Amino acid sequence: MKTSSDRVFMPVKSTDTELLRRFEPVVKYTKGEQFFPFDVDRYVSECSLWAHYPDGREEPLVPQNEMSLEKLVEERPATFGTIHFLRFIETLSLSESALALTQQSRLRRKLHNQFHVGMGRLARGGFLARITDALFSLSLLMRGKVSPATAAAAELTYERMHEKEEKYTYYGRVVRQNGWIVLQYWFFFCYNSWRSGFHGVNDHESDWEMITLYLYEENEKLYPEWAAYASHDFHGDDLRRRWDDSDQLDIINGHPVVYAGAGSHASYFRPGEYQAEVSLPLPTWLSGITKALNKFWTDSLGQPEGNPFRIPFVDFARGDGLSIGDEQEHAWSPVVIDDSVLWVSQYRGLWGLFARDPVSGENAPAGPMYNRDGSPRSSWYDPLGFAGLDKTPPPPQALKLLMDNNAEINQRQQELNTLIPQKAAELQVMGMKLKGLEDHPHLAKIYALLQKRINTSAEELKNLRRERMENGALMQGLSQRLKQIEAGIEDNPHAHIQHMAVPVESVEMRHARAAETWAAISLSLMFFAIAALVFLAPAYFWAGVAAILILFVVVESILRGAFIQTVARVTLILALITSVILVIEFWKIILVALLVILGIFLMAQRLRELAN
Amino acid sequence: MGKKKNKTGEKRPVAVTVIAIGIVVLFFVRIYQSIKPLAEENSLRNMQTEPIFLDGILTPHGQAVLESLLYLILAIGLIIVLLGFLRMRRWTWVFLMAWVGFSMVVGLEDYFYFGDPNFVIMASDVVIAFALSQADVQRIFKIRSDTGEDII
Repeated sequence: MKTSSDRVFMPVKSTDTELLRRFEPVVKYTKGEQFFPFDVDRYVSECSLWAHYPDGREEPLVPQNEMSLEKLVEERPATFGTIHFLRFIETLSLSESALALTQQSRLRRKLHNQFHVGMGRLARGGFLARITDALFSLSLLMRGKVSPATAAAAELTYERMHEKEEKYTYYGRVVRQNGWIVLQYWFFFCYNSWRSGFHGVNDHESDWEMITLYLYEENEKLYPEWAAYASHDFHGDDLRRRWDDSDQLDIINGHPVVYAGAGSHASYFRPGEYQAEVSLPLPTWLSGITKALNKFWTDSLGQPEGNPFRIPFVDFARGDGLSIGDEQEHAWSPVVIDDSVLWVSQYRGLWGLFARDPVSGENAPAGPMYNRDGSPRSSWYDPLGFAGLDKTPPPPQALKLLMDNNAEINQRQQELNTLIPQKAAELQVMGMKLKGLEDHPHLAKIYALLQKRINTSAEELKNLRRERMENGALMQGLSQRLKQIEAGIEDNPHAHIQHMAVPVESVEMRHARAAETWAAISLSLMFFAIAALVFLAPAYFWAGVAAILILFVVVESILRGAFIQTVARVTLILALITSVILVIEFWKIILVALLVILGIFLMAQRLRELAN
Repeated sequence: MGKKKNKTGEKRPVAVTVIAIGIVVLFFVRIYQSIKPLAEENSLRNMQTEPIFLDGILTPHGQAVLESLLYLILAIGLIIVLLGFLRMRRWTWVFLMAWVGFSMVVGLEDYFYFGDPNFVIMASDVVIAFALSQADVQRIFKIRSDTGEDII
């Protein structure tokens, strides 16, 4: 059995607040982070409440200086398609924007809170990824986005409120589900500055992040078993780590450690820089073609996977900045929430600006209980399923469940052992009867009926025998598992993880400075070269573009130390184009050759058969 | 795919043999291309009498000789690559891939702009390029690791 003596625990009669406090996380931020967990009431009092109507109209419902949590949850009937949203920063004039941006720089210098980017994300991705990235930047011009001035004003407003009262709040929730005691810690941020502050994917007003701990009860004590952190690109089982998985989960005095992504506030188990990949929002038909080409590239040509329409972004979760929690420089101010808290359950709108971004990246999120479209958030109503834990019983119940299951199968085996010989004997009797009916034409009807019954019984018998066989194998597996649990042998703590978030290794590039510079200017240089080509040699436009592209890709590959891979990929693409040309030019010859080869093959086969 | 063993005991994929045949085909094409300009200019007959340069400028005979020499060097180069390739040297894989890539760029340029491509060379290049891209060929030439990752 699992020995619990050396593990942190809480008495089963502990209050929700005591439980939350005992296991509250230590969150370590990256140096340069501008926004930390904040309390919603102070944030809401700084906001105005708006409605966005389906016809595109926007209307203020509650002005900025009159806003409160009570006002937020007031009943507001509206037509389908209406979106309610808060506005943390009001529309800025040109002069206000300039002022905000200047004051932001001053503030950062004053706080000595400058972010050091290290190797830029552009140098981490290849040339094609950079082209896609340029398209992504262009897409932001067409989609709605939060302006840099809004980000600056948000930072200044947050800093003003933070200076007035320095407080780091989490919203804790305790749920009991299927034998598990679930502790959820929700963190609210005034702003997500991933794009404007850390070269990430998006910016939006307000941000909600969450981690969940799963405890089980044994001998009147509650023990933590799993920790699940919400993170980009991962879901289900991949989100959780076992409490004793010291490779993956840092624990300080019984408090799990979270490394928060700079600006994005995503939670990670290990400190480092995580490469998040974002797909360019493509039309369905183009995305289908890309998928088919990718499949052909990997499956048919056996080449390594790669999608040029995915852009690498870095989430910096270095953990070298401010940290909050037990024995850290700052302590938590916990607030317990549940469904009865009105701002949690009654406000279904967005907690910040609705930027009219159709792919939602720049729109503010909804609260802990809801998605942006107002539907319930699965992590709220199904915290077990959220981390793939709905199929896993708490450890003390696992043994009993397994034994019950084993006993059930055992009993069924006994039944089968009796049933199968009975059925087999019945079948033999029917077979004998059938034999007796043969050669008697007047008994044809009875013969047919009996034959039908025999076929059904034979099928039944076959299924019973298969079931007995399968149960035997199942029992063997269950017995082994039972022995393993009884002997207290733990599973591999990573066995449930299919995709593990792993920080990228610090890449040592040849000529790193040159590679960085090249990454920054290469795309523009390519456009200049193409412009020169249009001007100087328009007759050779396509050949010139191909040559320029190849030249840039080759220079890039040399700087990145990937010359061989690049040569291989470029040559393979050229081979595909050339093969298409050859097929077009010689389709008749190819068809004739194929027919002749097929004819020879078939003839050889038949002649060999004849000779034998 | 069937495999043969070379002298060092490493298994040689059939694709390697296909590539070797492709190189041999290219070798003969290059030999033909090296003889063709000389034959067209009757240079073989006039080798002793006609000058290569006249007033510091290449004569038609000189141009034919130079062109022929170029193709001959290419043919000899192919033999060297072939030898290295059969011994499964890594550099030959890289060299051949780059060569074939360059050759295909020239072939495509000929096709789209001059309408006079050499389809035999284009076909050989395609066969060689596809054969070189086979996972087991890349593994045996230490371009790709056994787990499928690229070895830079």
